[in-house]
Amino acid sequence: MRRPPIRRLVALLAVMAMAFAAIFVRLTVLQVSQAASFRDRALDQRLRTVELPATRGQILDRNGDPLAISLEARDVYADPRYVEDPWATAAALAPVLEVETGDLERLLSRDTTFVYLARQVDRHLADRIGALGLPGIGFLDASRRYYPAGALAAQVLGFVGIDGEGLSGLEVRYEDVLAGQAGERTQEIDPKGQPIVGGVDVERPPIPGSAVRTTIDREFQYNAEQALAEAVAQNRARGGTVIVMDPRNGDILAMASYPSFDPNQFEAAKQGTYRNRAVTDAFEPGSTNKVITAAAAVDRGAIGLRQELAVPWQMDVEEFTIHDAHPHGLQRMTIGDIIAESSNIGTVMVARRVGESAMASYLARFGLGRPTGVGFPGESAGILPPLYEWTDTSLATIAYGQGIAATPLQMAAVYATIANGGRWVQPRLVLGTRSPSGTFRPAPDPLTRRAVSAATARVVTRMLADAVAEGTGTNATIAGYQIAGKTGTARIPLPDRPGYYEGQYVASFIGFLPASDPQVVIAAILDRPVTDYGGIAAAPLFQRIARYAITRLSIEPGRPLRPPPTAGPRP
Amino acid sequence: MVLGIVSLNALLAQQSFRIDEAERRIDTLETERLDLVHEQASLSAPGRIAAWARRNGMRLPDDIRSLHAFGDARSAPAGADPSWGEPGG
Repeated sequence: MRRPPIRRLVALLAVMAMAFAAIFVRLTVLQVSQAASFRDRALDQRLRTVELPATRGQILDRNGDPLAISLEARDVYADPRYVEDPWATAAALAPVLEVETGDLERLLSRDTTFVYLARQVDRHLADRIGALGLPGIGFLDASRRYYPAGALAAQVLGFVGIDGEGLSGLEVRYEDVLAGQAGERTQEIDPKGQPIVGGVDVERPPIPGSAVRTTIDREFQYNAEQALAEAVAQNRARGGTVIVMDPRNGDILAMASYPSFDPNQFEAAKQGTYRNRAVTDAFEPGSTNKVITAAAAVDRGAIGLRQELAVPWQMDVEEFTIHDAHPHGLQRMTIGDIIAESSNIGTVMVARRVGESAMASYLARFGLGRPTGVGFPGESAGILPPLYEWTDTSLATIAYGQGIAATPLQMAAVYATIANGGRWVQPRLVLGTRSPSGTFRPAPDPLTRRAVSAATARVVTRMLADAVAEGTGTNATIAGYQIAGKTGTARIPLPDRPGYYEGQYVASFIGFLPASDPQVVIAAILDRPVTDYGGIAAAPLFQRIARYAITRLSIEPGRPLRPPPTAGPRP
Repeated sequence: MVLGIVSLNALLAQQSFRIDEAERRIDTLETERLDLVHEQASLSAPGRIAAWARRNGMRLPDDIRSLHAFGDARSAPAGADPSWGEPGG
């Protein structure tokens, strides 16, 4: 028996009603309860947020001249989904980007939505690529760090990586100041990636980084680097370091290390050239350290200026024999003669009068054994063994600068202390920062502390002036000017065991001028010159830089200082 | 009312174009500024100036000459009493 049609119609109606109800419920869920979620998802698909990089702050020299600036650049990227013909696109881009077509084609064929084709390309180059109208190729705003003077002060400035973050030198030390704060722009785009007019367009502008104003004098730095490079070549040294410093406020006017590198192409630099050796590398200072022994002796009254010592040319210290640079008979010497002639034996005799404990105290007062706090990454503290680790020979060797290690900057600060009337001043590389609005915020005043009395500093200055005029430093003299300084010819310790290299030395000359009113301290250090001696290799380098300092800083000759008492005619 | 809405819309669109134009001009000027900073920095680099000077035959002086004034450094300032500095009687 067949069912009546009305019942089938009712059943059909019921099914349809249920189907419509289901659709209605689903629509209600989609349009009402989940509407916001789907609206957001749809909007998300249309919104594109791009980061707006902040312009990195400049690094300036003390006169406001740029040492590091940031240039506008573009990152070139591809969205391979929209690249219609990878090979043709690669062939069009390759000559512009100067890369192999095959390499580009591989990038463009990747199963991804984003791939960099080139980073930090010049803006004009990016415009040329844009003019090709290639689908799937886009650009991101970027900036490129540029060092307009090339290798000038490279180790001091450092460099930045491909993502614009500081990797070395002041660039990394002042990253938080220089980097600024990135912004972002959110736009509503159509399926072809073009902004929809009248759509969402919200921008949070980036905050540019502040500029860092250094104490470096760009012209002085250039001159120091040139002088250093020529001195290294002339003396066939392995490298060298120069520091020029204002002793009154600790400002470092120039800080150069050789060999150097071009931070614009830091990837191509030789290993080790990145290091700012003036700050990060310690060396045994040798005779330049005798200034501390002399200052300690004078400050404590351990020896009178007129007091004469009978100095042999060699002396046994425990199982070792130490000696002066050249043989001589028993020689009567004042402390002034000892410094002028750079007598190791005389210095040891003076140090013994000072005593171990006082000597250790004065070494610390002059800043040895701890970083200067110049504000440079990786600064070395040098090596100053604590008093309880001193052996029977320590006092003797430390007195003439062996068995301890100091950075060139620490040693420059020692001489700056004498030049500054006995007051140690913390060296500094940065004068302050300048915000994007132009407000200059000076760096805190450098720390100072008294190391020796002003009277001691005056006496030691006279000794140093005599060492240049009549002693081992005559190659540093400049007619009309009285220069105070000391030579150093230091042996170089073996890296892996006790002992020293035979016949290899660090030659140095550290001094200041004019002796009566010091305005500049110069440390000139050469690593393993064939000419060996500080007085022969480093003093002329000091002299050349000092000559430039006189003209650059308009230094007047000053008045001549009385030489210290001498025991008699010197050999 | 429709005319008003249409006019308002047109005005808004016009302002929007003006803002776009102004933003483009700001971008252009900022780019020009950066170009000039770049150019100034490159041109004033000491190495470039030194190389230019060498090419043109310039060089630093070999020595420093300091001139010393001899005699009595104390002299009468302009307009002073002529008897200033004379031995007293």
